[in-house]
Amino acid sequence: MPKMDLSGLRKYTVLFILLGLMAFFSLASPYFLTARNLTNIVIQNTYFIIVAVGLSFVMIGGGIDLSVGYQMSLVGVITAMAMVLYHLPLWLSVLIGLVLGTLLGLINGLIVSRIRIFPLIATLATSAVFQGISYLVSKANTFRSYPPEFLFLTRGKVLGVPFDILLTLVVVIVASLVYTETTFGYRLMAVGGNEEAARLSGINTKRMKVAIYTICGFLTALATMVMISKANTTNSSFGPGTEFIALTAAIVGGVSFMGGEGSVPALVGGVFVLAVIGNGMQLAGWGTYAQFIVRGLILLGAVAFDEYQRNLRLTQQKGR
Amino acid sequence: MSADYIVEMKGICKRFGGIEALRNVDLELRRGEIMGIVGDNGAGKSTLMKILSGAYVADEGEIYVDGEKANIRSPLDARRLGISMIYQDLALFNNLDVTRNIFVGRELVRGPFGLFVDKKRMYARAAEVIRDLRVDIKSPKMSVARMSGGQRQMVACARAIAFQCKVLIMDEPTAALGVTEANKLLGLIRNLRDMGISILLITQRIPDVLAIADRVFVLKGGQRQDVLEVSKVTLDDVVTLIVKGKDRNGGPAPEVQYKSFG
Repeated sequence: MPKMDLSGLRKYTVLFILLGLMAFFSLASPYFLTARNLTNIVIQNTYFIIVAVGLSFVMIGGGIDLSVGYQMSLVGVITAMAMVLYHLPLWLSVLIGLVLGTLLGLINGLIVSRIRIFPLIATLATSAVFQGISYLVSKANTFRSYPPEFLFLTRGKVLGVPFDILLTLVVVIVASLVYTETTFGYRLMAVGGNEEAARLSGINTKRMKVAIYTICGFLTALATMVMISKANTTNSSFGPGTEFIALTAAIVGGVSFMGGEGSVPALVGGVFVLAVIGNGMQLAGWGTYAQFIVRGLILLGAVAFDEYQRNLRLTQQKGR
Repeated sequence: MSADYIVEMKGICKRFGGIEALRNVDLELRRGEIMGIVGDNGAGKSTLMKILSGAYVADEGEIYVDGEKANIRSPLDARRLGISMIYQDLALFNNLDVTRNIFVGRELVRGPFGLFVDKKRMYARAAEVIRDLRVDIKSPKMSVARMSGGQRQMVACARAIAFQCKVLIMDEPTAALGVTEANKLLGLIRNLRDMGISILLITQRIPDVLAIADRVFVLKGGQRQDVLEVSKVTLDDVVTLIVKGKDRNGGPAPEVQYKSFG
């Protein structure tokens, strides 16, 4: 049976979907295709992009991290408490948050690589733990009135561009270079593609795994700073849910659920696909609840497409 | 210590739980020869070779490479000594192209701490290796996922010889190939020997061994039976040795302490 080979087009799939959606919603609502709305979409999604980039390291390495949303919850309240409750200097508070996030990622990495628990279960378990700690520490309080310097992160502008957009841009560019230019990125693709073969090639796969969860933890913490600065308030319910959007965006953006594949530009496209759907549905008056259904269906569709591509290659290989 | 031998393994023992996979095995590989490693299923062929390649560590025994005692505890150790193994399942990366497959774990690097990969040099070197091997791989950028079994074997060979490889271990390389492809591969193995590489060839296909090997090493029940000069034996001799062991004239073969799960 000849099957259509879409792999060459796959690079641009996300772009096509994004443009299609934008065309659709611009018909559905006159407000969609305005400069102001489009700018809003970008600004509202900077931290999703940072989390998705972090998650992409884990996924390309063949793992998964469901706990990112709960890492955000814990890092968020700790950072906020350091600033608001204990009046620590801003730099120290942010540093504490970033170090904490990195440690949470490290813990995930150690559990997955040393105790060898299946990452889906391991990070589901740590999600619950992180969330519990977050509520215990915050005593379910909400924290607000951050120091004004902290708000610069999302309110400030450099050369007319919002600071968090610049920050996101830096993360995206650096991550992109890591994948395409560095030894680490090359090896990570190998580990995600065939872990045992990578080990036999002399790559320390365990250390690699610890590294990717740690990177993910750090970037998640960085995203948390943007998130709580943008909201100008925090409590323990801030963060959870992000993992679903980041995961879906990554898969829509062509990061394979099975590891070994993915590119940062497409990943960013994936985030915007979800963002445009959310925004467009809102403007078209279809409400928030329907968005959940749509997001779920998109996740299913994207994973199915990923599987389809994979099977296609396998049958080709056997066929010759 | 004779330096005629590129590899000497002495008194190798390996147990997996209660199973004695290898018992006091000696092996000598001459410089620039092809040696077939034969034996029935479970005879210990792969285990012995994996010990040489560093995938397993022997419980007892010594390994000498180029006359010097070697301490091989990981694939990386073996590779530093110039020993590479091509595994039966090929250990290729379907998500990567030919060049990236060749260089996994040994990327050509540039910049501080070898932080960046040197793509230009890698693709050039890969093209060179493919040309040297005279194999039908069109481009170093070709995706491995779309290749035939024979082409995949050739990528695996290229992977091994792109670096100073003195000893190449191949595990059943012709097992999954058709006749034409298998013959091509056997030709390639001869080329490799002519390039000065010593080759250990694990196989179930005795005719392959007789066609290209210089000597054949027979294992049974985790013990060395004999090493035969290929020019002096027939297919029957080898098969008899594999099945009955070396003491076939002195009554029944001694009970070997090999226990299998099945």
